Amino acid sequence: MAPIRIGVRAGAALLLALFSHAVHAHSGAQGIGDFYAGFLHPLTALEHVLPFFALGLLTGQQGTKSQGAPALFAIALMLGAVACLWLPGVPAIDLVNIVSALMLGALIAAAFSLPTPVYLGLALLFGLSHGYANGAAIGPPMKAYLFILGVGLAGLVVTGYGLVVTDYVLRKNVGWMRIAVRVAGSWIAAIGMLVLATSWKRLAV
Amino acid sequence: MTPAHSCRVLAALSLVWLLGPALALAHVGQGDIQGGFIAGLEHPIFGLDHVIAMVAVGMWGAQLGAPAIWLLPVTFPVVMAFGGVLGAMGLPIPGIEIGIAVSAIVLGGLVAFAARPPLWIAAVVVGVFAIFHGHAHGAELPESANAISYSAGFVIATGSLHALGILIGVANRWRLGARFLRAGGALIALGGLYFLVRHFIGG
Repeated sequence: MAPIRIGVRAGAALLLALFSHAVHAHSGAQGIGDFYAGFLHPLTALEHVLPFFALGLLTGQQGTKSQGAPALFAIALMLGAVACLWLPGVPAIDLVNIVSALMLGALIAAAFSLPTPVYLGLALLFGLSHGYANGAAIGPPMKAYLFILGVGLAGLVVTGYGLVVTDYVLRKNVGWMRIAVRVAGSWIAAIGMLVLATSWKRLAV
Repeated sequence: MTPAHSCRVLAALSLVWLLGPALALAHVGQGDIQGGFIAGLEHPIFGLDHVIAMVAVGMWGAQLGAPAIWLLPVTFPVVMAFGGVLGAMGLPIPGIEIGIAVSAIVLGGLVAFAARPPLWIAAVVVGVFAIFHGHAHGAELPESANAISYSAGFVIATGSLHALGILIGVANRWRLGARFLRAGGALIALGGLYFLVRHFIGG
């Protein structure tokens, strides 16, 4: 058990270190290169960061069976971005992305034990939709592969961050901390629902 | 405070601190996100009728103890957001301001009398009021603000008000604290009464 815990702590430290780096990178986001532009693109938009983080929380909550999800999610993100280059203009992607926050948040709040294929299927589906939305930001002068790699890494970092935090907290095995994770999911679901409501209002007007 | 308690508090604070960067990070570099976020954060806090009712929800949860204390903060935001959806869709609920004032009176009263109904009744009472509160906010959702950061601020503010109520409710462990808690509930009910009277007199 001890080596695993040390591993988790080391992972947390690594991810935190990566994050502090990202914060520095923000001050010079313009013209910093296509890789960083891709890395920052999902990180500077709450509609991406929130579901990414929710997927990490859900992964941590689901336990060991689903730990491969961040990697799968990152690969799906990159595939989605590639798909956007090949086939631009798919409608309702933003709607799917809002629904991803609502759905992942609700699953965290409900704290169901999900069947692994369902869970990995969600990671794949939402990875593709978020990747697609990010891919739409790639312009002609950019090196697309660098941008896409950056998007994939951002997905890996944010979901990994959520996973490590949740895993660490749940390992404490204190009852109310399990609830704190569920409350976080409930907040994320509520945010998703309110955003859907506003979108509705915009469409209706 | 025992060492075990201070450990828990420390762990909670570090959790909040760890979660912090992910939120803070998202604000940098995009102009109107911050404006939307702050507007959302302010909205529930500047309506005092809303504030006292949310705090009462947390206090009552703490009085009821497990499992209500955990059920309320998990379900309330989602139910309230559902009310928000109804409000944004323009589905009319008559007497919404009266409903909010009444919710403060009822929730404050329940705390004052330390009422312990079965869990499902408590859930229905709180759920109905959650829809009222959400509806009022949903109807006022600004169309100019960045939708997601506004919603994030809004949900965080409401959830924090519950947390504040639960924190106040911790006093319930001690006999004197329990009395203060009930007195607090009575104050909230009086506040609700004030808002109700003001609504009819039109002050």
